Formats: sequence, C-alpha cells, structure tokens
Amino acid sequence: MCKRCKTKPVIKLPNSGISLCKSCFLKYFERKVRKAIRVYEMFKKGDTIGVALSGGKDSMSLLHILNSIVKPQRKTKLIAILIDEGIKGYRNHTKKIAEKYCKENDIEFHVFSFEKELGYSLDKIVKKFNLIPCSMCGVFRRSLLNKCARKLKVTRLATGHNLDDESQSILMNQFRNNVSMSARLGPVTGVKDDKKFVRRIKPFYFLTEKETMTYAYLNGLASEFNECPYVRGSFRHEVRAMLNKFDGKYPATKYSIIKSFLEVLPLLKKNYKKLAIKSCKSCKEPCSQDICQTCEYVKMLK
Amino acid sequence: MKVKVYVDKGEISKNLDVKSIKEIISKLDLNEEEFIIVKNGELVSSDVEIKDKDELKFLSVTSAG
Repeated sequence: MCKRCKTKPVIKLPNSGISLCKSCFLKYFERKVRKAIRVYEMFKKGDTIGVALSGGKDSMSLLHILNSIVKPQRKTKLIAILIDEGIKGYRNHTKKIAEKYCKENDIEFHVFSFEKELGYSLDKIVKKFNLIPCSMCGVFRRSLLNKCARKLKVTRLATGHNLDDESQSILMNQFRNNVSMSARLGPVTGVKDDKKFVRRIKPFYFLTEKETMTYAYLNGLASEFNECPYVRGSFRHEVRAMLNKFDGKYPATKYSIIKSFLEVLPLLKKNYKKLAIKSCKSCKEPCSQDICQTCEYVKMLK
Repeated sequence: MKVKVYVDKGEISKNLDVKSIKEIISKLDLNEEEFIIVKNGELVSSDVEIKDKDELKFLSVTSAG
C-alpha cells in the first residue's frame, strides 16, 4: 500500500524502498525537480531555457515538467532543440513524438542534423568506418547542442540526465582516469561562465531512471520506449549493467555515488578552473585543447 | 497460479506458474531496478498481489537518447 495515503502503489522507490500511489508519486517527483532547480539555481526569470529533446522518456518528461513550471512565469521562455544524428528506424520515430508534443503544447521546436551540420549522418559513419560510435556521437551532439543553443539565444540548456546517467559518467571517468572530465559534471555543468558556452542544467539529477520512466508512463508521454541500436556494446552500457546489478544487491549505491561526488565536486571545479576555456583554432567553438574533439573526429572521417 | 508474462515487447510465457511478482523477477533473473511493471494495463509496484490469468508486462526503463 502507498505509504502516505494507503491506496494502490505504482512504484517502490529505488533508493528508500517506500511504495507510492500515482498521485503521491507525481507530487514526490515534481517536488524533487523543483527542489533541484531551487537549490542549484538552475535558471532565473528572464532566461530562455532550451530543452535538449530526443523524444525519449527522459527528455519528454523534462519538457513536460519544465513546461508546467515555466508556463506561469511569463518572462521565462522554453524552447525545444532536437539533434538528429541520422539513425534510421530510431530517431525518425522519436522525432515525430517530440514534434507532435511541441505542436500540441505550443513550444518552439528546432531540429539540427549531423548530416547538414557536419556532413555525415551517424549511420553513414558506422557503415563507412565500422566502429562503435557512442563516444563520437556524444561529442558531436554536445558540440552541436551548444552551437545551436547559442544561435537560438538560449541562456540555459536543460538535459534529461538522471541519477543513473550521472553515476555512470562518474564511474566511467574514474575507470578511464578522466577526472578533469568529472569537473564538468554536476547538476549545473561548466567550470566557469563563458560567452560561447551555454551552461547546462539537469533538473532530474536526483531522480533515478526508473522514477523518470514511471513519470513518463503515468503522463502518457510515449507508448513505447526505443533504445538506440548502437548503445549495446558501448562502455556506458556495460557500466550501467554493472551498476544496476550492484544497486539491486546494495540499494542506493547510485545515490551514494552522486552524494559523495557532490562533496568533492567543488574541489574538482576549483582545481580545474585554471584550465581556461579556449577557442578551437579550426571552428572557434569553445574547447579545452587547441583543436576541439569535434574537429578532430571530422578530420578523421575525411 | 498461472500468469502471462511479457518482457518489453516479447512474450516470455503464457503459463508461468508463480505466486508473486517477486517470484517472476527471480525466475526470469530480472533486475527490478531496470523495469516498471504493468499488471492488466495498470502500473503497479513489485509487492502487489497477483492472481490466476493475470497479464504482467515488464517494461525496460533503460534508454539512450
């Protein structure tokens, strides 16, 4: 039974083991999102928030809840940005869902594609180079999102990253000795403010993937949830499976990873603050090296 | 009791002989963290009771978008 109102439960919360009914769960979910936004000052009145929308459950849920929060604030604007990587049978489907939702809810919807912006679709890259494309796709998506958000005068870029995604990223950076990358994680990303870099916010930072899926399901945001065909075999996929197995045995492991990471994050940010955001010598986009990773990959593809 | 079980889009068993959802999770070696459970079209938690001929769907929560 629901711990709060003793009616039929829809979920047993992964971290606390508490069962909640539909109504109590939706209140709990919204409260957690509002708290994360408030505590980490994710946006203020007058901001233009760009939601990185894929049409999947996380970003659709994010757009849905941000729309309900932002709508009463007349001065804050919400727009949706979708990056079309060119994955046949996957992105076309989620793009339609995203477009339909935006149309019905009167939200500006913008699409930018790998093909148009970089000259290659992801399917073409995989076919030509026979590689697991997740790292490359991630780099391209992040860089395009930033560039396109800036074009649209977005002041905060909201992503649907949840507690599962973040705990995976933290571990992946540890396993690969990429601690400087972890300095860029957290509920609000970016080591420092920069004119060319649109800071990112993660309102679902303290919610698990299961909770986000439950929210999406209860709100009828998508009838089926597709997985990118390339994700299997990726490093993240393996870390995710390992973490979920561990969390099943030792509940709240992922939550503990996040909480302990937040303790050291200020130190990491302080330590890596001296690494100024440079401009890529080739495309002038913000990066940490002389040439950005996007240009390095594009060069490799030519 | 016998129940019909689906994991994502695939039907796993028409006649799984179990007493609880927990037993299905254990029998099919599923990780509760990775699924939401829909019983006869309604979202439920893993501790609700089941009865003969119930239809249970385990929908994966993992996605990469």
